Order: sequence, then structure tokens, then C-alpha cells
Amino acid sequence: MRILLIEDDQEAAAYLAKGLREAGHNVDHAANGTDGLFLATSERYDVMVVDRMLPGLDGLTIIQTLRTAGNATPVLILSALGKVDDRVRGLKAGGDDYLVKPYAFAELIARIEALGRRVTSNQPDTKLKVEDLEMDLLARTVARASRDIDLQPREFRLLEYLMRHAGQVVTRTMLLENVWEYHFDPQTNLIDVHISRLRQKVDKDFDQALIHTVRGAGYTLRAAR
Amino acid sequence: MRPASFPLPPLLRATTFRLALSYLGIFTVSAMALLALVSWSTSVFIEWQVQETVEAEATGLSEQYRERSIQGLAEVIGNRANQDLERRAVYLLLAPDGTRIAGNLFGWPNEPGDASGWVRFTIERMDDAHFATEVLARTYELPENYKLLVGRSMHDARRVKSAINRALGWGLALTVLLGIIGGYFTSRHMLTRVEAMSRTARRIVGGDMTSRMKLTGTRDEFDQLATSFNEMMDEIERLVEGIRTVTDNIAHDLRTPLNRLRSRIDVALMTKTDTADLRRTLEETVIEADRLLATFSALLAISNAESGQRLHNFQPLNPAQLAQDVVELYEPLAEEKGIAMACHADPDLSLQGDRHLMFQALANLVDNAVKYTPPGGTVAVTVAGTSSGIEVTVADSGPGIPADSRDKVLDRFVRLDSTRSTPGNGLGLSLVKAVARLHGANLVLDDNAPGLLVRMVFTRVA
Repeated sequence: MRILLIEDDQEAAAYLAKGLREAGHNVDHAANGTDGLFLATSERYDVMVVDRMLPGLDGLTIIQTLRTAGNATPVLILSALGKVDDRVRGLKAGGDDYLVKPYAFAELIARIEALGRRVTSNQPDTKLKVEDLEMDLLARTVARASRDIDLQPREFRLLEYLMRHAGQVVTRTMLLENVWEYHFDPQTNLIDVHISRLRQKVDKDFDQALIHTVRGAGYTLRAAR
Repeated sequence: MRPASFPLPPLLRATTFRLALSYLGIFTVSAMALLALVSWSTSVFIEWQVQETVEAEATGLSEQYRERSIQGLAEVIGNRANQDLERRAVYLLLAPDGTRIAGNLFGWPNEPGDASGWVRFTIERMDDAHFATEVLARTYELPENYKLLVGRSMHDARRVKSAINRALGWGLALTVLLGIIGGYFTSRHMLTRVEAMSRTARRIVGGDMTSRMKLTGTRDEFDQLATSFNEMMDEIERLVEGIRTVTDNIAHDLRTPLNRLRSRIDVALMTKTDTADLRRTLEETVIEADRLLATFSALLAISNAESGQRLHNFQPLNPAQLAQDVVELYEPLAEEKGIAMACHADPDLSLQGDRHLMFQALANLVDNAVKYTPPGGTVAVTVAGTSSGIEVTVADSGPGIPADSRDKVLDRFVRLDSTRSTPGNGLGLSLVKAVARLHGANLVLDDNAPGLLVRMVFTRVA
């Protein structure tokens, strides 16, 4: 993916750019808001990573300017401001996701990839399919190899999120924010327990496991390599 | 900008004194208006009395005239003029040719009379050339062109009037004087107390946080102010003390893991050469650093909740929905530990709050309950409406908290498990306390016999 990184902290930017390039992405870096806005309007990117506090133009102004100009490139906001209303303001300005510093690199790359591969179609999906796992979003049913799987409502939403991001790494925080819709900090490995329950139903009776743990990052749903 | 120097002494600057002066001014003006009215109506009354006397005398004289004709009248006037040693009465009877028949007035006055015959003129007193007096008199035309004048000296009336005016003047002067003296003493009294208060405030500013305002015991406004001020200082002292404790605790509790982190890296640098070994150490170090960062975020969340800056995020919440979501989130974990979870929530309740903070607080309580309850135990969450509000409880069948430690565990970094064998940073209940406080809820830790019962009581907002 082509990624634009607008970040004034040189050390953090170098570390991020290195990590993203090693993950196979093409990274452009701007060290201030003005250069960032110039690059964002003159080039095409798949995802932009924008620091909130920048010299020149601040991050939110850049995003607002782009959105007003009809640029719909997905934006991930990086910020040291972690309060709920900071987050709300960031998303209102046109950001697509919000990550509070300090963050783990695995979290950042998972979110960037989720944003970059997000399908923006007006037609809502009615069916999801990964290998032999099928989900009917209208009938709210799940079947694997034509065998019905009975899921609780929350398990259904958890699996739906994993299937929509099939092949991508999904972190525990992303699951909490998107499946449970609470911004909170669990003190225990809650999500792991929920995933292991889901595995019991989706993977246990089948030869090929679909839900995989990615060490130090989260989970991914895909066919075994 | 304040003027560099203000020429008035402190007393004259005192609000009370200025207030007293302006009241005095208003009072003086109205008192003077009242005095003018009294003085005016007195003189009207005196004049009216003189006129009555003159008319009564004239009536008497006209009777004499009717009975005894002009000679009798002249005789009576002569007698009366002689009897009146004080010479208050003035008479003059003139013949048609203008000669004086009787009376103690030498000539007819030159001043013109009014329509009903009243005339006002000044005479030199007959026995004292230096003494002039005003006379109010009435003139009568008698048959055959005889003319009669009956009058009274206004001398006494003037004396009464001026005596009354003098008395009123003195009264006014005395009032003003007493007002100034009273204002002076009242404001000096107030000034003394205000100065005592500002001295105390300056002492506190100077660093003596234990200084308090003195009460006089009269329960007046100053005592009320001093009481509020002292209560405010108690609260500030408590907060400052709290901050100090927290800072000490943070320094202490964060130094330990930082030291551990450092020595782990140190040891790895000195002893490990194998890449796989170094990698494992690095991974452990990241986990340790993440724990530290989580502790910092928890501290930040607590101080955010304590500063009450999130009020504008408040929205109507369904506490039952929150309770069910928390229970559903923890249910698999509890099941894994062999703990039964229950949720009894009245779905028709609503309260104003911050959704994410409330969820975090409830999750912290349930997390603790699941963590400390042994296998085979139970954890129950209830949401119920009471007469005064909404009560949210989390009850477990674990070891509970001894009654004397229940307040302490709400403080930051306090963990009863001295071996610190269970994971945790000692901030969970502190956040619950801060969130409860932000929502105006009362947090009570109780004995569940056995176990812990945490009660959050939200008072109903009208």
C-alpha cells in the first residue's frame, strides 16, 4: 500500500517508516502540516497516518481540508490526547480511526491495513464467505462446510468482524472497540477467552483451523498457510 | 489598573462606612424635608390662632358697640389697652374726621389691607424705641364712617416659631453627629474582622496551611463566611495531602517495575549472546513496558474522572444494558474459572453518565470479583431502582475485605494482597471511586457474608 505519514517527531517517524516498509508498504513522510497537506493533495495514497499536533497546520485542519476538497482517502489519526471527547473530535473532523500514543507497532499496522483494505461499497453485503465458512447477514446464520453453527449474538458479531477483515491482523483493542463498542482497558485476557469460545464452535470439529493467533498482535481469520 | 495611591485612610475606604454615610445623607435630606413641613405648618397654625383671637376680640367689641354705641366702645378699648401690660393687643378707633378716639396705636397703618380687611404692619414698641414688632390686624368700617382696628403683636408667635425651629435644628445636628459616630464604630468593627480574615488568608498564602479563621460564636455573617472558608481550607488541605500521597505512591510503585525492567536489560546485555535468548528478553521487556504504560493510562483516567471534565460527555444511559454487557463480557472468563455469574437488572431505568467510564468502572468491579472469587463461587450484578435513585451492586463470594480496610482500598496503589501474587496495579477501585464521584454516586463497600458487596448508589436527578 502507498502510505503517507505526517509526523513531526523525527525519531518516531523514522521508526514507523522503517516498520511499515519492512511490512511491504511504500511510505512517504512529511515532517510538518504544510508539506503533509501538499503531498496529500498532489499524490494518491491508500492510507494516511496523521499526527494530531503538528507544526504549521494541525492534523485535524489537514483532514478537514482534504474532506472538504472531496478527498476520501482513509485517515488514521495519531494523538497523545486520549480522552473520549478528543477521539470524538478527531473522528468528527473526518478521521477514520484514532490511535492514542503510546501504541504498539502491531496495533498501528493492523489498523492501517484494516483501513487500506476497507471496501467502500454502497451495496451492503448480505453474505460473507471465507474458505468453507459462510455467514448470512440477513438470516443471521453461520455454516461451515454446510453444517450449521449456532452462535450467540455477540459471537456472531465477533465472527462477522473477523470475516470482514479476513486475512488481516485484528488486535484485541480493535475487537473491543468494534464488536463491544466500548473504549475501555480490560485488565484481563478477556478477548482471548471469547476467541477461544468462538474457536470451539468454528474450528474444533474441522481439520483446518481458520482463526489464528498472531503473537504479540492479535488474531486473524484465514486459511492455514 | 488600580490607582497607585489612594488618599483616603482605610476607614473612609471601608464599604460599611461609605454605606453608613450615604444612608446618613438620605436620612438627613428626608429629616430636613420633614422639619420644613413641621416649621411651615407651625407658622400657619400660629397665624390662624392669632386671627382667631383677633376675631374673637372684634366680636366682643362689636357687642359693646351695639349695646353702648361709640362712647362705650371707646371706653372698653381704653380699658383693654391699659390692662394689656404686655402690649400684645393693638387697638385703634378713629372718628370720621380721622382723629383718634381710643386705642394704643398712634396712627392708621399705611400698608393696604386685603379684601376681608386683614392688614400686616410693623410698629415701634411704644415703650421701647428700639424694638420693632410685626402686627396682624383686622380693620372694620363702623356706621357713620367710624373706623376700628383690632390687632395682635406677632412677637410671641415669632418667638414660639423660632424656638421650635431651633429645637428641630439641634435635633437634626444631633442625628447627623450620632450617625457619623455610629457609622464610624460599626465600620471599625467590621474592618477589624475583615482585617483579621485577610491576615489569616495571607498567613495561608505564606504557606501555613493549618491556619484557620477565628469564630466569634455569634453565628453572624462573618462567622458563616469564616466557617465556609475553613471548610474550603479543610478540603484543599485534604486534596493537597491526597496529591502528596499519590505522588509518593506513584514514585514508589513505578520505580519498582522500572528497576526490574532495567536490571532485566542489564543482565541480558551482560550474559546473553544468543539471538533467540535476547529476543525473548526483549519480548518480556515489551510486556513489562506495556504494563507500566497501562498503569499510566489508568492514572490518567482516574485524574480525568476526578477533575470532572467529562460532564459534557454525559448522556442518558441504561444501567441494565451496561450491566448485561459487562456480565456477558466476563461470563466466559468466569466459566473458565468455575464461577457462576448472574445478572439481575431492571431494564426500565435510566441515568445520566459517561458510557465508557461507567462501563470501565463496572468492568473493574466485575474483574476484581472474578479474580478473587474461588472456583465454585458466584458473582452477581444487580441494577435496581430504589426510592431515592438507582442502586448498582456487584457481589461475590470471595474472601471479602476486612471492615477496617474498606476505605483504604479505594486509594491509589493500595493492594491488600501484600505478596502481590495476583495481577493488578491497585488502581481498579480508585477509578471506580473517581467515576462514582463524577456521577454523584455513593460508593459503599460491604460484607456479603461471605465475600464483598460493592454498592454504587446513584441519586435520582429530577
